[in-house]
Amino acid sequence: MKQYAIVIDLDRCIGCRGGCQVACKTEHDIELGPSRSTLYTMGPFGVFPDLEMYFLPVMCQQCKAPACVKACPTGACYKDVTDGVVRIDRKSCVGCRKCQRACPYDAVFYRPKLKVADKCDLCSKRRAEGLEPVCVTNCAGGAIMFGDVDDENSAVSLALKSAGHHVYALNDPGVHPSGRFILRGARWHEPELKHKGAVNEQSVNEQEDV
Amino acid sequence: MAMDDILYAVDVPWMAAAVAGHRVFCSGEPAKAEAQAENRGERIVKTCCRACIANCGVLAHVKDGRVVKLEGNPQDPMSKGRMCAKGLAGIQALYHPNRNKYPLRRVGARGSNRWKRITWDEALTEIAHKLMDTREKYGAEAVFCSTGGGGNPEIWSIARFCNIFGTPNWFEPGCAQCYLPRVLAYTMMYGGTDPSIADSNALEIYFPDETPIKCLVLWGTDPSYSCPSSGGAAVVELRARGVKTVVIDPRLTPDAAKADVWLPIRPGTDVALMFAWLRYIIENECFDRDFVLKWTNLPYLVDTGTKLLVRSEVSHDAGAPDTFMVWDENTGMMKPMAYPWDDRLSPALSGTFEVDGKIYKTGFTLLWERVADFTLEKAADICWLDKTRIEAAIRMFTENTPGGLALGVATDQTPNSVQAAMAAATIDLLMGNVERPGSLLQRFRTSGVLKMPNYPVPVAARMLPEGQLEKRLGGNEHKGLHIWYAGHPSSIRDAILDGRPYQPRVWIDRSGNKLGVVAESKKWAEAIEKLDFIVHMYMYPTSFSVYADILLPAQEWLETNMIVETCNQLFARQAVTHLWETMDETLFWSRLARKCAELGHENCRKAFDPDFMGEDLAYWDSMEEFFSHFTRVVGMDWKEFAEKAPFEYLPKDEWRQYYVYQKIDEKTGKPQGFPTPSKKLEIYLESMITLARTGKPFATQPLPPASRDYEPLPYYLEPVESPVRDDALSREFPLVMTNGRVPFYHHSTLRNVPAMREISPVPEIWIHPEDAQKYGISHGGWTWVESLRGKIRARACVTQGIHPGVVCMERFWNPENLDKKTHGWQEMNVNVLSKSSAPYNDVVGTYTLRAFQVKLYPADGAPEGVWTKPEDFSCWLPADMAPTHPLDAAYDSGKEAVKK
Repeated sequence: MKQYAIVIDLDRCIGCRGGCQVACKTEHDIELGPSRSTLYTMGPFGVFPDLEMYFLPVMCQQCKAPACVKACPTGACYKDVTDGVVRIDRKSCVGCRKCQRACPYDAVFYRPKLKVADKCDLCSKRRAEGLEPVCVTNCAGGAIMFGDVDDENSAVSLALKSAGHHVYALNDPGVHPSGRFILRGARWHEPELKHKGAVNEQSVNEQEDV
Repeated sequence: MAMDDILYAVDVPWMAAAVAGHRVFCSGEPAKAEAQAENRGERIVKTCCRACIANCGVLAHVKDGRVVKLEGNPQDPMSKGRMCAKGLAGIQALYHPNRNKYPLRRVGARGSNRWKRITWDEALTEIAHKLMDTREKYGAEAVFCSTGGGGNPEIWSIARFCNIFGTPNWFEPGCAQCYLPRVLAYTMMYGGTDPSIADSNALEIYFPDETPIKCLVLWGTDPSYSCPSSGGAAVVELRARGVKTVVIDPRLTPDAAKADVWLPIRPGTDVALMFAWLRYIIENECFDRDFVLKWTNLPYLVDTGTKLLVRSEVSHDAGAPDTFMVWDENTGMMKPMAYPWDDRLSPALSGTFEVDGKIYKTGFTLLWERVADFTLEKAADICWLDKTRIEAAIRMFTENTPGGLALGVATDQTPNSVQAAMAAATIDLLMGNVERPGSLLQRFRTSGVLKMPNYPVPVAARMLPEGQLEKRLGGNEHKGLHIWYAGHPSSIRDAILDGRPYQPRVWIDRSGNKLGVVAESKKWAEAIEKLDFIVHMYMYPTSFSVYADILLPAQEWLETNMIVETCNQLFARQAVTHLWETMDETLFWSRLARKCAELGHENCRKAFDPDFMGEDLAYWDSMEEFFSHFTRVVGMDWKEFAEKAPFEYLPKDEWRQYYVYQKIDEKTGKPQGFPTPSKKLEIYLESMITLARTGKPFATQPLPPASRDYEPLPYYLEPVESPVRDDALSREFPLVMTNGRVPFYHHSTLRNVPAMREISPVPEIWIHPEDAQKYGISHGGWTWVESLRGKIRARACVTQGIHPGVVCMERFWNPENLDKKTHGWQEMNVNVLSKSSAPYNDVVGTYTLRAFQVKLYPADGAPEGVWTKPEDFSCWLPADMAPTHPLDAAYDSGKEAVKK
């Protein structure tokens, strides 16, 4: 089975939020407040001036055993067998927000006007037109890649292979995330995701979201 | 006009290839996007962004006349199909419900923010009458104009109008505080481009697979935040290929975090650190000795009494430099050095020589004397840095040549501005990082379409009546400003407040929020009260608009045209739509000049006569007519140009040319050298003395000398407010304030755009945990920030990523409070705190925007009325708004051509 997912080279991410946030929100006409992706400022770790800092964009990890799908009472949230992408069918979504609460990566949110849950589907519409997801096209640093992580000859698989042991995934509580991160320039830290009530150190503005 | 005539007329040999090639090079990359857009009933307009100064290529999707989507144009060789947050904000900015839609006249008391709609003709007539009355009663100099970099201005259109109307007074809050110091220093010392990445120079970095650059120094610049899609991305590519980076910045920016060496310098002490670099480079013989001997003026002898270079011969041929003297070690005598080099001589690079009782030193020795005290230890002490890290940074640079030093805006914002640019240039020039592959200082070819990129309007300097230039406020003392024909903001403000040397009375501004960007805005608010008449032209109301008498609607970038040169390609920014009665300012000044002409202004009348104006161009009736003057160079009118753009005017490999100074000048048979008076790199910048005394080479009229000569070599100036002074002021205000960009705003723009405020609703002030603890500041909490000049609030970001003792805050204003007593500029505006008074930089008059002292103490909460939650901004989301009628219908004098 194909498993499309996002792979991010964090050494290339410059924290500008142009592609992963503004272009994404514009493309999908997301109202003020929520976002399909969140940029976490990781660090600075250490003591001045010996510091490490990097940026971590987190969107849906297209899990192999998605908690959101499991939690959905109507089957609106499902894993597409053709590409491994987790989707929400708006017609059958009843807006109960169980998927949002179930997601360990805080990647699902609720759209009050549409009364449905929403999340990254790797720009299904754009892909149907032969385009890449908009965050990939518009990422200033060229950090965001997408492709079939189960195909060992895909560009993303080759990138991951050449990164050797510098490849990371988010903590897995049993959902088997497909997303991967490459990080050579700093030590990997697990992000403290917002819905767990964590306070992110670097940017106070980030706290206001959602 | 036949093609051959054009080629002959412009006399650019390689232009033949450009003109012949332009059709061939039209790439078909966006074809796919176009086909898909067509399926959706959309049309794509290839244009260019102007949310900042980077001008990235854009594909604007238009459906039923409305701009529905923006995406990057993959043909752009710098942004390569990407758009940043600011650019993507373009649609919300364009369709903002609070756009200035029509000319408005104030009806309530000044500051009451009550307006009545008037026609363009009424507005222009009223302004012109006021200008003419003022000129008659008080002289044209009582009128002054201003502009600024944020939000799509054509700065020279203001300079031009002022020259033609007869006033020497215009200013922008940038100039001496932004970019002019760097342009001045690199122009005078080198003559090619400066290495500012944010200003779309340093073009070598856009060819990561070809450039041999090994080390990039980012000094007070952070391309990740200032221009993510172009320069920020380019630096990513270089790092990915193993290019070393050194970052000098008090805050841990994204580029600092990824640097090989980060030097978190104390704000305002850059020249001290640069001197340590220079001392180290000289002492350890890291510089390119042969290059310095042959291609800089450092071996030339300086008369220590006059500080002037010694000449054996003064050239009367503009193509040949004067002949300078060197100390010949073969004969032990002073000898003339014929340009470019005399093999019979063995010039001493350093030395002090006495001849006939006079003491002479080489430029190199004088440079050494300047920097000799600045050991690594001393710089570490002054700049709050670690000595071994300074050394590691210098070695990273000197052991990895070719390389380059990209100097950002940081050093332009203190009174040591010009000297910092001179010292930075000296570092690269000593290393020989000039015009070789891999260096940032280059003279790549240009199309010849525009003399200056993005600023096509001819300033018509000769139109300023004789004797008026001398009245330019601050212009005699700070003559470096004349490179951009600009006045000195604080001198203008002081003249308004105390009437000396004369009283400015009428102010026409076309720029963003003046009160958000000028230093010490409270003093400007006082000055505003004293003015007879104020006109503000902008895309939307700002704090400054509230104080205006007439408010005019300017165009957003999606409504304007411009010729954009990006590397070896020509792009067109073209009007994608037109809303309401907005006008391009380049047209506005023309219309205003016409009104003044009708009222009997003689020069304004002449300004419409093509024969009289010649190369300065007669004023224009449309933007199409205006731009067609320039696109003729590539054999097209504007319409054809806009249809065909983007296209390559030269193949990439011909466009990138190296070692230009070595090319043989056919007339002289000698290398053409550098475009400086000596044709050498003028590290000993003797021209500074001439500049101070006469205004040459920039002033167009005779000027009295400045109160003292400018120094030919840089010097270090400790910030006027400084913690190391340990005086009463620094004890009360113990923290050093600096500023820096975030990627969501440019200057004072976009604070009214929901998509940006959603991400960055309020300005953060970065403070180190030790300081936060000391002053009771908590992360995310509100804090007062106070300087000698006022106090504001900000939200604290407690982070290790800032030097202890330093705080950093981005500029801000609050459009949501326009109708409040504060008018949105007094709540969180860091320029309430900055310092607009002396000491100024001697050469250009820079005041203190960074490196001044503040204190922090906790505040109870946010300023009243300030919006912080995403949903607060929903009332600023685009309103439904049909595009208006074709451009010109709206401008017909006296007609109500356009209705909502």
